[in-house]
Amino acid sequence: MAHRTPPGSSASHASCLDLWREKNDQLVQQAKVAQDSGLSPRRQQLAQDALEGLRGLLHSLQGLPAAVSVLPLELTVICNFITLRASLAQGFTEDLAQDIQQGLERVLETQEQLKARLEHGLRGLWDSVLHVSSLLPELLPALHHLAGLQAALWLSTDRLGDLTLLLQTLNVSQSGASEDLLLLLKTWRPPAEESDAPLTLQDAQDLRGVLLTAFAYRQGLQELITGNLPRALSSLHEAASGLCPRPVLVQVYTALGTCLRKMGSPQRALLYLVAALKGESTWGPPLLEASRLYRQLENTAAEIECLELLVEALSVAHIPEAPQLLIEVELLLPRPDPASPLHCGTQSQAKYLLASRCLQTGRAENAAEHYLDLLALLLDGSEPKFSPPPCPPGPCVPEVFLEAAAALIQAGRAQDALTVCEELLSRMSSLLPKRPRLWEDARRGTKELPHCSPWVSATYLLQGQAWVQLGAQKEAISEFSRCLELLFQATPKDKEQGPASSCEQGCTSDVALQQLRAAALISRGLEWVASGQDTKALQDFLLSVQVCPGNQDASFHLLQTLRRLDRRDEATALWRRLEAQTELPQENAAWSLPLYLETCLGWIHPPDRETLLEEFRTSLLETRDL
Amino acid sequence: MAGLAPRVEYLAGFCCPLGGLAAGKPRVLCHGAEVFLSTGSELVYVYDREGRLLIAVYKFPGQVWHLELLALHRALYVLCARSGIYCLSLDQASRSVSRDDEDDRDDQDSEDGQVDELPAPVIPVHPDTCVLPSATLHAFTVLDDVLITLAQGPTQWKVQVFERPCPGEDPRPGGQIGEVELSTCTPPAGSLGEPTAPRFLPVLCCASPPGSRAPHGHPWGSGGVMLEGPLFGLLFGSDASLLESPVILCGLPDGQLCCVVLKTLVTSRSAPGDPKALVKILHHLEEPVIFIGALRTELPSEDVEDAYCDCLVALGHHGRALAIKASWDEAGHLVPELREYSLPGPVLCAARGRGGHVYHSTPSDLCVVDLAQESSPWDLTQRDRAPGGLPSLLCPASLSACSVVTLSVSSRAPEGGAELLALSAKGRLMTCSLDPHSETPHPTRVTSANAGQKIKELLSGIGTVSERVSSLKKAVDQRDKALTCLNEAMNVSCALLSSREGPRPISCTISTSWSRLQLQDMLTATCLLENSSGFSLDRGWALCIQVLRSSQALDLDSAVSAITYTIPVDQLGPGGQREVTLPLGPGEDGALDLPVTVSCALFYSLREVVGGALALTDPFKDPPSNECTPDVLPEQEGVCLPLSEHTVDMLQGLRFPGLAAPHTQALGPLSPARDPVHTFLGTCCGPVSQPAGPASLRAKYLPPSVATIKVSAELLRATLGDSHAGVSLCCATLQWLLAENAAADIVRAQALSSVQGVAPDGTDVHLIIREVAVTDLCPAGPIQAMEIQVESSSLANMCRAHHAIVGRLQTLLREVQTLRDRLCTEDEASSCTTAQRLLQVYRQLRSPSLLLL
Repeated sequence: MAHRTPPGSSASHASCLDLWREKNDQLVQQAKVAQDSGLSPRRQQLAQDALEGLRGLLHSLQGLPAAVSVLPLELTVICNFITLRASLAQGFTEDLAQDIQQGLERVLETQEQLKARLEHGLRGLWDSVLHVSSLLPELLPALHHLAGLQAALWLSTDRLGDLTLLLQTLNVSQSGASEDLLLLLKTWRPPAEESDAPLTLQDAQDLRGVLLTAFAYRQGLQELITGNLPRALSSLHEAASGLCPRPVLVQVYTALGTCLRKMGSPQRALLYLVAALKGESTWGPPLLEASRLYRQLENTAAEIECLELLVEALSVAHIPEAPQLLIEVELLLPRPDPASPLHCGTQSQAKYLLASRCLQTGRAENAAEHYLDLLALLLDGSEPKFSPPPCPPGPCVPEVFLEAAAALIQAGRAQDALTVCEELLSRMSSLLPKRPRLWEDARRGTKELPHCSPWVSATYLLQGQAWVQLGAQKEAISEFSRCLELLFQATPKDKEQGPASSCEQGCTSDVALQQLRAAALISRGLEWVASGQDTKALQDFLLSVQVCPGNQDASFHLLQTLRRLDRRDEATALWRRLEAQTELPQENAAWSLPLYLETCLGWIHPPDRETLLEEFRTSLLETRDL
Repeated sequence: MAGLAPRVEYLAGFCCPLGGLAAGKPRVLCHGAEVFLSTGSELVYVYDREGRLLIAVYKFPGQVWHLELLALHRALYVLCARSGIYCLSLDQASRSVSRDDEDDRDDQDSEDGQVDELPAPVIPVHPDTCVLPSATLHAFTVLDDVLITLAQGPTQWKVQVFERPCPGEDPRPGGQIGEVELSTCTPPAGSLGEPTAPRFLPVLCCASPPGSRAPHGHPWGSGGVMLEGPLFGLLFGSDASLLESPVILCGLPDGQLCCVVLKTLVTSRSAPGDPKALVKILHHLEEPVIFIGALRTELPSEDVEDAYCDCLVALGHHGRALAIKASWDEAGHLVPELREYSLPGPVLCAARGRGGHVYHSTPSDLCVVDLAQESSPWDLTQRDRAPGGLPSLLCPASLSACSVVTLSVSSRAPEGGAELLALSAKGRLMTCSLDPHSETPHPTRVTSANAGQKIKELLSGIGTVSERVSSLKKAVDQRDKALTCLNEAMNVSCALLSSREGPRPISCTISTSWSRLQLQDMLTATCLLENSSGFSLDRGWALCIQVLRSSQALDLDSAVSAITYTIPVDQLGPGGQREVTLPLGPGEDGALDLPVTVSCALFYSLREVVGGALALTDPFKDPPSNECTPDVLPEQEGVCLPLSEHTVDMLQGLRFPGLAAPHTQALGPLSPARDPVHTFLGTCCGPVSQPAGPASLRAKYLPPSVATIKVSAELLRATLGDSHAGVSLCCATLQWLLAENAAADIVRAQALSSVQGVAPDGTDVHLIIREVAVTDLCPAGPIQAMEIQVESSSLANMCRAHHAIVGRLQTLLREVQTLRDRLCTEDEASSCTTAQRLLQVYRQLRSPSLLLL
């Protein structure tokens, strides 16, 4: 389209352009004032007003046909608008892409090339705009700035293919079209803005630095998760060497620590973790990582100390700083994912980790204290700031109760364990099955139980063990019997019923159920033995071997009882089977049982299996010799 | 329920916008004698029921979307759109009463109970006092010491938990305890557009387990509900029961009903909650959720004052209701019992009452349904109900009040009854008392003391009835009108469809002409709709004109993108005419792709005429939209009657500036569109050289493209026949070709055999007609033929003109064909010669005589 100059209009136009420019500069200044005014509603209001002002300015600019002389200002206003909007909303939205697209179309409008390229989408638009812009050098700084924002948008939405192509087109003056995004970002040189250019909230150079750090960190984290450690290390080094805010630096150092730990350099990993802890903003992830490191080094004391510090660190309320009104590295990072190695969870999750590690490493007293603290944290609603349960990825709340009871028994505090169990039962009472109202179901034969029965029966088991510790045989046996009654009513159909969560299903896994049954039978059997009723004990041990053939403890107890009852033939047969089994490799280590069950199984472990076998062998030889 | 007789009493009137209040945002709450009320505007009113006066009016910086009262802490929380949450101290409100009491008492003493807003002091609330500034909040609720909000993020709803701010406190952004994102939401489109107010707001409800401390306020407040243990455990899982944690229920405008266990929702900024672990979707109503609440449906076994709720209820905008109860199956297992009901919609608002009652309001009525077990012994639905279960059917009972936009169940209920506080769409605050004893008439003597009260009651009763009558009357009128319209539409359709032969009773003729519109020459099509039938085209009829460009017609993909203009035919009586002129082009780019096909049809929109009547809504209360029209009428439902089709080709689009006709002379050569602003902006673009595209170069240096078509002179003479007597065959042919062009008359008057025309894009087109003899085709000798020559510097225009001429000839051939066919059926002997002759001509035509040079 030919443009002719009507006489006398150029002066008014120039003043109009100046007016718009001044408006832009003033709004940018306003946003910067808002930025500096700390956390207050006034800041929010100022920033919001600046955003609305930019929106209005853009409206008036785009109300007129596109012109080359106005476009640098218009594109700058678009860039400022997008920057402010994304930083206020703390994220990029789809309609920001529309704003970019509109800006590009306006550029093409001046060149009358609009129609041809529209069908290729945003990428095609960029191609043609950058092609056109070689004819319009005055647009280049603003276009590179807009391209930087487009890159940020595509980075945050994981459209790396488009991003690579865009950067390749931007770098076309440089030699060689690399496929490596990191290299492309490094070689991208946004042209410097002229001194008299309209003000921007954030210039293209700055944006490039942010993009570079964010991308390097994203890539490093991704490779760390997929296990490509050397590449992760180099990407993370790249991120650490860039300009990045302190919280991000802590994350990068922690990730470097994780990476080096996995690569087998614990000392270097420690150095990075120490550096991360000096970051003074978030201590959680580096402390958790340090505890993992010490665990790998089998330095339990240091590991527990790290976890204790982690609990401390997470109890400090984290006051967020006001986010900058700029595109920051944080804005371009992936959403925090609980599965990420850098996720440190909440205070109660850390507390649970500490308690369970104490229980696993044999520090029963500490474990008991930590479990009681955790329960208090979870159940005491009097504090205004409560803490969430460690449920998923941790265990669900009933399991925390059960582990607490197990830890208390382990620590010799049977009475406290009974209190915890009673509390659990009372809180679950409304979910327990009612007695059948009608007799019609009798013909169905079985009585099924709702989903919570494994926990309830485990509670009875632990109550029984507590009574054992208190020396009350009668109570213990009655609790074990209640446990068994419930357990043998449970059928696999239960899994379909009730609002079962994933961890509830895990708890009712067949292996766990078998082991639970065996544990209850052995426990009761042992009590029979203690009260001298060997035949009843024999019955329970026999049953336990049947319900859980993989549990060798049951066989050993059975062997002992048979021996005591002087039933030699059966004992010999069982001994042969056991001998054969012990020669086979042990495979039950692969099962992961709930911690409370593991602990409980530890109590009923026959004290000295090897000597028992040896004794039996010699006695067998003696009888043969006789 | 049957024993409850409603009694409605008006308390006060509040100002409302033209067309009434829209449902969704108004709120009414009561606390003792104080009523807190917002109508969806910026104002929050505090009204004293006992004194019957307005105590205070607060003016907020934006529209008020939600109110919540924390009676225990004497605080009122107010959600202000795009601003955030404010907190007012109730003591502050009452203090302002005492101050203004004396001055205002006299003014308020008006007999009709109407309150003018002026006497009460309007207290502006400054944006700086906002306790939780956030522009994206859509809903909130308060529970003990925490404030739970629902904000709309860029792509998702976000539940956030804060420490509860107290009145007069500074905003504490550090007070956030946790947050988690819910399902996706679709924010309104439009990048630069102002954010529009949502039609439906999400709903929040706080459910507490039995063991926890009592929730704030009285049990019938708007805030939380307490569920009994089995239902709570069943709905939210054993973790929530064990932790004895309250649960937030969210009802979203997309119909989703989801829940978040509050105690699990403690997160830090570095790790927001994992939605997969924290959020559980309970149900999907598939329509905007209007209300979530819980009820006690079974009578408590002992005389417990605070019976826990045993039934969760959710209600959707179109009347879909969901009720969930916990029950035990025959094996003694806890199982959920879930039922969906359909209530009359659209539901404007709802509230829960005592004893299994749910009140819900539609534009035409306020109803109550009973989910309780022992509703009435003679209830037929009683039989198919399992003991302890939910009713299989809900029967709404009318309470005779219409268009209630917000409801609140008052705590001051009479024994066994209930009292509702309601705000009608006309801005009237009223109480609706359901007194169980009032049905049995009390034969009390009318004393002078209670006579006034009695009369007042009767008057307000009349008021309610009249409001209801007017709404029902409107509905009946609407239906009546719709039926009349349908009848007329039926008549018109029959008339049009039965007259296949001969002139149609309703016709549409299309002609084209050039005119100057907005500094640019435009080829316009004029469609003349004539109604020569005996019926009139009324509301609901529309003339649809579809313009299909040739390039689009050829391209199959873009065929759907043809432009359709829909012009409502407003009252076209018998014998009436309506003319519609449409621009065909050229567009902004100066190009006009001929031929263009223009087709006309009459469309009768059932939706427009019948939709409103079927929906039975008051157009003022609930503007007709997709949501409130029942599904029986899809978007495009209607009757379409095609009228005519017309193709505008190059021959019609040509202009002849050289021919002396006064009106065409005025249309000078085509100039490109010049927007003044464009020109103005062009100044700064600097001198731009004249376009030196290939097109202009070709025009300058290449000879024009030429095409010729030869047609048997015999044929033309025979067809053009008498109408062109007195002029040469050349002129007649030209006249025939340009018949639909304005230039035809001049051609005739000046007896031209060649014309110089201008195509729409400004290039020349030359038409020359000559008489020639074709020798090499027929052995019998040379055949007299007319040669039509098209000449243009633009190849495209030459092709278009050629295409148009070929089109004319094809039409001619078709006429010949029909003529021949008819002749065959007629008496053969008499017409033998004619037939022979025509066949010969036909054969000649079939032989390849189109020469392209």
